[in-house]
Amino acid sequence: MELLEFAVEKALELGASYAEARYEEKSGTHLAMKNGSPEGIGIEADRGIGIRVLANGGMGFASTNVLTKESVAEAVKRAVKLAKAASQVRNEPIEFSDEDFHRVSYKVKMKKDFRDISPEEKLEILRKIEEEVKATGANVPMRYLMYSDQLWKKVFVNSEGAYVKSKIPRVSVVYNLVVFENGQMEQAPFVQRAFSGGFELIEKDEPWNWAVKDVKALKRLITEGKKPPEGRVDLVISPEVAGIAVHESVGHPYESDRIFGREAAQAGESFVKPDMLGERIGSEVVTVIDDPTIPNSWGFYLYDDEGVKARPRYLIRNGIITEFLTNREYARKLGQRSNASARAINYNREPIVRMANTYLAPGDYSFEELIEDIKLGVYMVSFNEWNIDDRRYQQRYIGREAYLIENGEIKYPVRRPILEITTRALWSSVDAVGKEVEFYPGTCGKGEPGQGVPVWMGGAHARLRDIPLRRP
Amino acid sequence: MFELNEFILKKAEELGFGDVVVLSYETNRRQVRFANNEITVAKHWHERKVELFVEKDKRIASTTITELSEENVERVLKTLKKNIENLSPKEDYYGIAEGPFQYKDIPETFDKAIVELDEPNDYVEIAINTALSEGAKRVAGVLYTDHNRLYLTTSNGVEAFDEGTGIEISVRAFVGDLESGHGTCSARVLKKFDPELAGRKAGEIAHMAKDPVQGPEGRFDVIFDPLAFANLLSYMGFMLSAYAAEAGFSFLAGKLGQKVASELVTLKDIGNLPNGYGTRKFDDEGVPTRETTVIENGTFKTFLLNTSLAKKYGTETTANAGLIMPRPWNLVLEPGDYSKAELFSEVKRGIYITNVWYTRFQNYVTGDFSTIPRDGIFLVENGEFKPIRNIRVSDNLQRILSNVVAIGNEPFQVHWWEVSRPVITPYVLVKDVGITRATK
Repeated sequence: MELLEFAVEKALELGASYAEARYEEKSGTHLAMKNGSPEGIGIEADRGIGIRVLANGGMGFASTNVLTKESVAEAVKRAVKLAKAASQVRNEPIEFSDEDFHRVSYKVKMKKDFRDISPEEKLEILRKIEEEVKATGANVPMRYLMYSDQLWKKVFVNSEGAYVKSKIPRVSVVYNLVVFENGQMEQAPFVQRAFSGGFELIEKDEPWNWAVKDVKALKRLITEGKKPPEGRVDLVISPEVAGIAVHESVGHPYESDRIFGREAAQAGESFVKPDMLGERIGSEVVTVIDDPTIPNSWGFYLYDDEGVKARPRYLIRNGIITEFLTNREYARKLGQRSNASARAINYNREPIVRMANTYLAPGDYSFEELIEDIKLGVYMVSFNEWNIDDRRYQQRYIGREAYLIENGEIKYPVRRPILEITTRALWSSVDAVGKEVEFYPGTCGKGEPGQGVPVWMGGAHARLRDIPLRRP
Repeated sequence: MFELNEFILKKAEELGFGDVVVLSYETNRRQVRFANNEITVAKHWHERKVELFVEKDKRIASTTITELSEENVERVLKTLKKNIENLSPKEDYYGIAEGPFQYKDIPETFDKAIVELDEPNDYVEIAINTALSEGAKRVAGVLYTDHNRLYLTTSNGVEAFDEGTGIEISVRAFVGDLESGHGTCSARVLKKFDPELAGRKAGEIAHMAKDPVQGPEGRFDVIFDPLAFANLLSYMGFMLSAYAAEAGFSFLAGKLGQKVASELVTLKDIGNLPNGYGTRKFDDEGVPTRETTVIENGTFKTFLLNTSLAKKYGTETTANAGLIMPRPWNLVLEPGDYSKAELFSEVKRGIYITNVWYTRFQNYVTGDFSTIPRDGIFLVENGEFKPIRNIRVSDNLQRILSNVVAIGNEPFQVHWWEVSRPVITPYVLVKDVGITRATK
């Protein structure tokens, strides 16, 4: 990409000490179906260049979607000018960690290329969900279904010799289903199935089966659901619940830009401080990994948006805080190398520290072993309402599908068990982790302007002892 | 960009499309982000793009074009045609508005001084220094300047132009790890922009919040600061869209004409509000924006509609298109008659919540949700403010609206990261709000 190299050279000429240019092109389709009626097709074809520079120790960013030399030169000029002006309101200059850069090109292959598939055929996926949901016999008066695919093409160059070209296709189905029975209503909102790869992955995943499972569980919850136990009980969380918990209470607080206060006015700060590396935060059986390199994962990448090679990051190992998520700016502050956590959602966004695929690493318990000695407890399979404070310490997850566990057996469904707990208490209470890992997709929000990046969250089942559960 | 719009319209008609909407944007946006009393990054975005909506025999498609050459435009139109040819029709599609319309200039939506503003960093320094002078130790935030031009052309005789500016700041101040405050200021014209006000509020609250103790749980009378109540009302904005109600994301579904809030609550969407950050002269199909009362003295009057959804329900558009999804412009809670001091004096023992974030719903159709107070939280007892921390509002949105017992007389415009559509609201007192906390 000549324009990118031109942008980098131009920035250096204008006085930047560091420059990077990123071309991104996103093309794809999205379709929605509301209560059985197709809502039309949306077609996306967006591309542009973003330029980020350091000059006099300040950082500037500018982007343009007009891909001419003049327009790119103008953007470069703006970025350098902004960086220089910003440097005057700084206490210390921004510096980046030293890294090894590569000239590489990689792509995720599609067995069934979604560009070759007609919109009507894509709509069939949503129709199949409609049909299967109806076949359950449950009353589901509100059904909102979305299909989307997107091919992400990127080229990144910087003034330190990096050249990274990538092509990643992404496919996704999202549904909202409202089950109404006996005058009562339960909901499975914004449930997503999503992968990096071709159309075949969504077909193989059979999202209609997930929808049917949800509808049946919600109907059963309405007809057979009872109050959950209140007070101190044992709790088994599913990979889906473990996933949201590691994402919110481990991944986010370990983002180094947050630890150093850069996100303070938006996504918040962190209870974690730089000197907490090596400190115990959970029990021996808790290991949490964030790994962008998992094939076909929703959060997949092999090089981050600063051109650094990705690898699995061990955030917690056997209960001890071992690593933060870093980009080059904060790796430098920590006296480390970047672990390739810089991501930008599009050409017009700056790369910031993000998660990819975060999960609770497996232990050696079968599911049966996890529940067999529980006298009284709850098994939380899925969740709806969740939130956490901006230091990522006080959180809450409410079960959607959940069951009572009594004397080692799963009994009837329970309604809306509430786990409201601190991060330290949560991870210190885990005494056993299951063998099998599963992942669930999500969109992680951060940055300003907002950057919703695709992530997977998941892990193995986990057993928490002596947990204070609430009722609504 | 009208020439381009006309070209697109002509080519679309040649290809046999029925309804066509061409909405072109030319935007210049600047951002200065700051944290730890220094600028972390400064940015500029220049963008030209066309949002295009087409219909043929109730088959609809939309796209955004960023490569604006004639060749590409023709290629895009052909792609759209190919894609919708065999697509199932949207049976409940009833067309777009019939133009032309007359448009009035809306006061305080454009200021040349903002267009010509060379360097906004001084405003950042003012905000930081004001917060520091109130006792803050660390200050973070973001400043934006905006200059937008909007060109709309439709197959139903609309040709409309709007030009707007804006400048806004969001400031969060910290004294220690647990003591913080937040202030914002959004304005469409420079003379109404007050970064000092935002910095002062952030600093004052952070200072007041010193040494907080664990908060209580139970049901409490709660005074919501405008920043906090705007967050809750911003979810109302989404739920007021007829599209959201059909899709299962609104507790207002099926409640037209019913009581959904306290008598004191009158909620409006005002698209033509002077100085409103979301103000525009026309909606996406060219209908002049206006004031729509959605909740009047507690009774739910109307969803927000575009022409197609309005026809589906046998009524008139509220000028809130979104061609697929209607949305609010500026959501306004009518002021009450309480001064701030009177409002606080109503509370014998209650909680003052200055900000919330991370509002999430357990069930959109019932309205059950929780949200987390962020920044200063205070136990209010006989006029005394005692800083507390670590509590959560756990309740139901309709219940909150029904329990509004007093509304302040001074409205504030709120628009920031957590409130992406502007909300204008005074201080609000709500009785018996559910408060929970982590017990381990």
